[in-house]
Order: sequence, then C-alpha cells, then structure tokens
Amino acid sequence: MTRRFMWCALATTIMLTAAAPAEAQLTLGGTVYTKFLWGTQRDEGSVYGFTTVPGEGYGDNAQGSEIELLVSARLGKKVEVRSRIHSRFNQNHWTNFGGFGGRNPAVEPGACTAGDCGEFDPRSNQYVKLRGVAVTLTPGYEWIDSATIGANDFGQFDPFVIGRIRYIDRDNGSGLLFQGSAARRRFTWDAVRISLPRLWAGPSFNTGLFHAADGAYGLQMRLAPNPKFDVGWIGQYVNDIEIDSTDHNLDDGRKLRSRFHNAVVGVKASARPTPGINLSGAWYYSDSNSSDEFAPANFSGTSGFSPVLAGRHDDQSWKGNVDLPDFLTGGLMLRAEVFSIGAEYVSMMAARRESDVLLTEGHDGAWLYPGPSNASFGVFPGNPTRIGLGGWYGNAQQVPTINVDNEFTDFDEPMAETVIGWKGITVAPTYTRGAFDFNAEYSYVDYNTNWQAFGNDKLPVSTTTYPVNELDTGVGHNFRSAYAPFQDKTTHIFVVGAKYSFNIGRGVDLFGKFKTIQEEDLRLNDARFLPYVPGDCGGGSCTGRVNFYSAGNSTSSIYGNPTVVTVGGTTGYQWKPFSDIADDDRDLDYRLIQFGVGSQLTNDLHGTFVFERYDATLQDGNTAFQAYNLHEMASGDHAKNKLILKGRYVLQGMEFGMQYEYNFGTYEPDFGSGYVPQTASEAIATTNNVPLGSLGFSGRFGGWNSLAKRDFDQNRLKAYMKVQF
Amino acid sequence: MVNSWSRLALAAVIGLVLPCGAAAQEVSFKDPVADDKGPGTYTYPTDVVYKAGSFDITAFKMTVKGGQAEFEIGVNTLLEDPWRMGSGFSVQMIFIFIDTDGKAGSGFTQGLPGLNVRFGANDAWDRCIILSPQSTSKVRSEVEAKAAAMKSAVLVPNRTKGTSRTITASVPLTDLGGGDPTTWGFQVVTQSNEGYPAATDLMTRKVNEYEGQHRFGGGNDGECDPHVVDALAGKGTGDPAEAQAQYQMLAYECNPDGTAKKLATLSMVRK
Repeated sequence: MTRRFMWCALATTIMLTAAAPAEAQLTLGGTVYTKFLWGTQRDEGSVYGFTTVPGEGYGDNAQGSEIELLVSARLGKKVEVRSRIHSRFNQNHWTNFGGFGGRNPAVEPGACTAGDCGEFDPRSNQYVKLRGVAVTLTPGYEWIDSATIGANDFGQFDPFVIGRIRYIDRDNGSGLLFQGSAARRRFTWDAVRISLPRLWAGPSFNTGLFHAADGAYGLQMRLAPNPKFDVGWIGQYVNDIEIDSTDHNLDDGRKLRSRFHNAVVGVKASARPTPGINLSGAWYYSDSNSSDEFAPANFSGTSGFSPVLAGRHDDQSWKGNVDLPDFLTGGLMLRAEVFSIGAEYVSMMAARRESDVLLTEGHDGAWLYPGPSNASFGVFPGNPTRIGLGGWYGNAQQVPTINVDNEFTDFDEPMAETVIGWKGITVAPTYTRGAFDFNAEYSYVDYNTNWQAFGNDKLPVSTTTYPVNELDTGVGHNFRSAYAPFQDKTTHIFVVGAKYSFNIGRGVDLFGKFKTIQEEDLRLNDARFLPYVPGDCGGGSCTGRVNFYSAGNSTSSIYGNPTVVTVGGTTGYQWKPFSDIADDDRDLDYRLIQFGVGSQLTNDLHGTFVFERYDATLQDGNTAFQAYNLHEMASGDHAKNKLILKGRYVLQGMEFGMQYEYNFGTYEPDFGSGYVPQTASEAIATTNNVPLGSLGFSGRFGGWNSLAKRDFDQNRLKAYMKVQF
Repeated sequence: MVNSWSRLALAAVIGLVLPCGAAAQEVSFKDPVADDKGPGTYTYPTDVVYKAGSFDITAFKMTVKGGQAEFEIGVNTLLEDPWRMGSGFSVQMIFIFIDTDGKAGSGFTQGLPGLNVRFGANDAWDRCIILSPQSTSKVRSEVEAKAAAMKSAVLVPNRTKGTSRTITASVPLTDLGGGDPTTWGFQVVTQSNEGYPAATDLMTRKVNEYEGQHRFGGGNDGECDPHVVDALAGKGTGDPAEAQAQYQMLAYECNPDGTAKKLATLSMVRK
C-alpha cells in the first residue's frame, strides 16, 4: 500500500511538473502600512478620518496596521495572473489586542463601531480580503491585443464617461476588458463590461435587489493618424435590472424590468499644429432613466440623497482647451479652458475622485460642509463635525458627477468636488525662470443650475427629481451638492502663487499663494415665489395667507411663517418671516493667504512648514432662510488658521511620513434682524453643546442656531510607516 | 534711510542683471519627435495618464552657471501631475549619463538596474543624474539599495521640477568632477516613474511584449530588452534620421528564456 502510494505520488508529481509551463514565474511582493492618528476631537470610530457611510465609524485617534501581499505569475507570454491579499484598517485598532473578545452583536444588538465588537465583526477582527484578482491574456491574435478578466481600476477610459474607479481600493471593481489596435497602434479600441458596483452605482446608492447581472458596458476608439492630431469616440451603457414581479410564469424563466439605465457618448479631439499650440476639445451627451417603480420618483425638496437624478433626463457637457506652452516668451505658458457641465448630465461610471476634469483649482478642502466647523445637519443634536475645522488639505479636485466619493480618507488627502452644472472660463498663466515659479488663475463660473423652483414652476418645490445632498450653504462648496431649489449664482476665483528655490544647503523652497473667491447667489430672485402674500406678516403676527407661484404650489412648504415669542419681555417673531427676495441672498468674500518653506534637511529627511489663513465674510441668507432649515447658518465672519508641519523620512524601502496640524479660528454669526433671539435652555445647551442662556433661535424643524461667537481649536496628527518588500 | 533703500535696490538690480550678462557654458542637443518607441517598436501603457509624447525627448540642455550645472530636458507634451507628486510631473523619469573624462574603459559600462542597457567601452559613463518626480530621499534610498556599487557616481538633484514641457534640475558642478562640459559625452534616456518597481529595478517601468495599463509594450517579457523609451542618438541635432540611429542603438537580441543574448548598447552624444 505504501509502495503503491509512493508510485502514485511520484507519477502525480511528474505529471504536474510536466504540465507546469516551463516559463512560469511567481512573483511575491507586498506592503506593510501602519498608521497613527491623533486628534483633539477624540473620535475613534475607525482608523480613517472621514466617512459618510451609515454604520461606519470615523476617527482622529487610532493606531493600526495593514498588509497587502501582491501575488503575480506569468505563464509564458500569453497568460498572466495577479491578485492581492489585503487586510484593511477599518476598525482594526491596535487597542483591539488582535481582535479578541468584544461585544457580540447577535447577543447584544447595536451598531459595531470603534472596534467594540472585536472578533464578532469582520471590520475589527483583522480580516483579510481578496483583492485585485485578474488574468490577462495576450493571445497574439491580430484582432485583439489583450483581454483582462477580473479586477481593474478601468483607468484606460475617460473621467467624464468611465472614470478610474476607486472605492476603498483602486481595484474594487471587476469586469472584462478587451483591447486591440491596428495600423501600428494609430487606431486603438477598448471594450469593457464592468459588473455594476451594488454599493453605489444606482439610484439611492444601490442597484436594487437583483444585482448579479447588472453591468456597465463601454467602448472607446481612438485614431491618431499622426503625432499632431488625434480623435476619439467613447460610449457607455449602464443597465441596472430587476426581476419582474408580475411575471408569474416561472417555467420560461423570469422576465426583467429596468431599474436604472444610463447611456453616455462622447467625442474628443486634440491637435498640436505647432509645438507652441495645443488644442483640445470634448463633447459628451448623457441620457439617464431611473424607474419610479424600483427607485424614488422624487425627493423631498431639501433632503434628497442619491448619486443620480430621479426620472428621465438628458443633457450634455463639453469643454475646450487652448494651451500655449511658449506664449510670447520662453518660460511663460498660457492655458485657457471653456467648459459647460450640464445640470442633468449623468454618467454613473464617471470618476468620483482622483481625477481633475477642469483646469481651475476650484474650492478648498478646508471648507467641505455647511457648518462653520464643517458639520452637516449640525443644527440638530448628534451631528458634530466629522473631520473638524481643518477639513482636508489643499484645493479640491473636480469630478463630473454628484456621486462624489471622499469616503475613508484622512485629512491629508485631497477633496473631490462635483462640478455638475458649472459653466465658465478659466485662464491660467504660469511663468518659470530659473529657480522662480509663478502661477495664476482667473475663473468665472456661471451655472446651468441657475433656476427658480428647480427649473419648473409648474411643479411643487417640495418634491423634485434633483437630489440636493448637503445643499449649497456655508462658506465652501459642499462637495457633492449641485442642486438647490432657487439659484442665481456666479463665482469668481482668482489665484496667484509663487515659489522660489534657494540653493542653500540641500535646497530651501519658499512658496506662497493668495486666493480669493467672490460669489453671489440671489437664490429666490422673483417675488412671485415668495411663500406668503405681501403683507401677510404685519402688526406683530402672520396670518398665513399662502402665495402660490403656480396652481397649488408654494414655497411655504419650505419657508413656513414664524410663531411669535416673548423673550425677556420682548415680543416678536421666532425668526424673520420670508417676505423679501433678499432674505436668502448669498454674498461671499473669501480670501486665503498661504506661505510656507520646505527643505531637504538631511539626505533622508524632508520637512515642510505651511501657514494658511482663511478669511470669509459671508452673507448666506438670514433667519428667514435658515440654511434650508437643515444646516447650521454660516452668515457672519469666519477666520481660520492652519499651521501645518509635514515630514518625510526614507530609510531603504521604508518610508515614514507625518502631517501635524494646529487649526484655530473664530466664527462670529450675523443673522440679520427681524426676529427675537431666544436663550438656550438647559436641554438645548446640553444637546447642542452651546452655553446655557446663550442667544440663538429655534428653527422651523427644531434645530438650534447659536448666535454665540465660536472659538475653534483643533490639533491633529497623522503619521504613517510604509514598507515595501 | 533713503540711501539704504537705494543701495539695496541697486544691489538687487545688479544681482539680477549680472548673472544674465555672465558667460555661461552650455551644451545642448536636439532629438527627433515621435521617436519614443525605444528600438522602434515600443508602445505606451494604456492608462490615460500616459499622454502621447510623454516620454518623447525633444531637447536637452546643460548650462553651467554660478558653479551649478543646470539641466533642461524638453518632452513632447505638456507635463501634468496626476499622481500629485508635487514636482509638476508624475509619469516621467529621466536618466542623464555623462562621460566626463572621455577615456576608453574609464567609468561604468553597465547601465543602471532596470534599464537593461550597457554602454560601449568608449562611452562608459562617469556620472548619472536621475530626474524623478519622487522625493530626493526616496530616489537616493533606491539607489543605495539597488545600485550600491554605482551610488557614488549617481547624483540625485535636491529638486527636480516640471513646468510646461520641460523638466529641470541642477547639481553642483563639482559633483560632476568639474572640467569643461563641452568636451563631455552625454546620453539622456527616458523611462517612467514606477512607484511599485520590481525588486531589482531602480524605479523603472517594465517593457513587455504587450502593453498593459501600466506597462510599455512592444518589447520582451524577459529582461533582454532595453527598458528605455527614448534616447539621444547620432549627433543630437534632431534630424529625423537620428530616430533610425536610436532604433539601431537600442537593438537587442534575446535568448528563448528571456535572458539577454545581446543587450542594447548605448553610445554618448558629443558636441
């Protein structure tokens, strides 16, 4: 038996050896990434600084490690396989002590955050995930160059149509990718079928119940007959399907119904007639249809959340660029861009982050949410800021979708912002002479979303097909907010920056920037949209005579009249009645001054110090407007200071990095007049974290807007160690 | 007080004007456009960050000013920084090899790891300057780890930047050993900045038989092909015929197992 077994084993070994391709090479590599977060917000929900995903935590205090193992092999010339085995930070704090113990949610129900479920929740028991599994075939046929089956970030396409996909990882997405070429690659094509991500790629951030057959299909072709000219075409079709519940004959299979579909086509061309002139242009058209059978038919006017519009819509987007690398004189470059991103342009697979589709640097990551401290819905208890006063670092990246993804990021990363609805022009000169660099930008932005009553005065403003997300209030541009019920907005962005590199020691860089944003938004600009008839509130009270802008439709559903209150012997309105089209006007005067110094301190260590000072004087409606009743009002004077220290140390294959920020500032509210301020009761003081007896007022939905001056102070640190092997 | 300001202003003007008037040593070469095909067959990776012309050298200039050797490398595209490296460019990586002594057999004839090239005995290099968007510390660390035997001859500028269509950097002339640059031989090759290089590659991107999302194509899956996308050739005048000279210079032969039968052999370009 033993001998028979040995012969059998030997034969098996010989067969396996003979079958294995002689050229097969297995490559193993990996990265260990350890992260330290410390901050004075004392949040510990996860080892990431920011998320909006319900049930996930965020935190500014954590220590955690993750590892990824990269495994790849070539089976000769024609077949290559690769994959990653990756543990994730999530709630894997070092303090979990290896994921042991913890609360068992099956016995003690409740959401698992901050790693409190220990070994009972995969997010805190040091789970390892399979990632990036793909096989690439290069069969050597004339009609196809390669086929990749499996995970991909699909960065081969176009951010307006099929953008690079990153969720937590860059290869969360999977699909089939076929690529080919002809005429010595003067003509190339790429065809793709992506399995539609059920987590976000559909109305209400999901793809419904039946998801396994949902897909996005794409095709792009590019022709470059010579180095001076190229032209391309791209198209995609997203098909989110559901099982037809009215099909009761199962003997012939199940019929399907469409939940959401989205078609996008685009053409683009670029020309370089001379080395000193680069011209390019792109045009895109989208059609989207969200079924009201399987997805919301509309959203409540001021609280809709979805990555796509409800109902059927079509629109276009385009942009044109002129780049003059040697404008007038050597070292001077002039770049210009005109653009228009349609209000109803929808591309489900457009880039959500890590792309920058416009030339402008846009807004700053320091102001991401409506509230003075970057809180959303912070007017209600239990909604403190997530990422804190400091926000994210640097200026925003622009993406052509409201499906913006800043999830699972830390404060040292860039913010992505939607540019849906933007139209305008950017002119950006740069000048370089020796160690001196200069850059500037002027952008004028008008909006395709400038409209009254969501662009259709025959419909109620309280229900709309436009998801407003966090709405458009506060100092900055709330990163995924493109729509407001009333908008009449223009934005001017002006930036000048300079850098000089001194040849001292290992080099010293001095740099600075001045940026200003001037923005006006008249919002409701026609008296016929006022919520109540003229004179409704007078003589100390309101009668409630509703004004209709069309049959049965009134803005009183949003801007309800105040009650009368008496505070300290003074009687008046709880908030100002919305009786004037100026009550919601926005006027922003925003300035950023930045300067810093960076130097290679030793052969292994680089350090940078940056100071940023933000000043914003904002009129963002008065108490009649109330930031759409949902967010903290931000009218008043804002000052924000950021002291930033960055360091990077490299030792062979190991890299240490850190960013420390001390952020401090003030906010002095100015909510106008026409109401009687109230004082914070003990309950309000406790739930809204404001001083007992401080002034403010309770809004229409019961939220509390404080009139107290606020002083902010935030310390935070992120440090990491990355080792590649 | 007025006098102090006047003197300061005068000094500033003199300071600005004088360097412009001072004679500077300069070496410059041109390179044909659209020859960014390595030995004539290479194709770009397919990810959108690799714009046409990204690795196509159009010009090289070295200027000696104030004890500094300043390098300018022109490429046939507007530089972009999609990976936010902070240097004004992301995907390129430039190697400038210099034969400072012109002596046959003096210097290195092997290329740097990952380039898969060698140099002729008469063109052995004495110094190599690496222009990378990665941090200086990172590049130096990689050189120490992967090219330790040559590290004393490899220079990493304290600062490398890309603006418009030009990548620039400078190193002290003394670090090049001094001398008259107009008598030196130069070779400039383009590669791509690889953040996840193979264990033996000096941050270079692979060239395979078929291009991939982040790999060049048109070469060999082994290590016998030069991982060089563009290089100076001929007299460095930019004459279109120099493209053919480059293709010949980068010609290579492989064994069936992907090892080199004949490595591409680079030569220097001289004034």
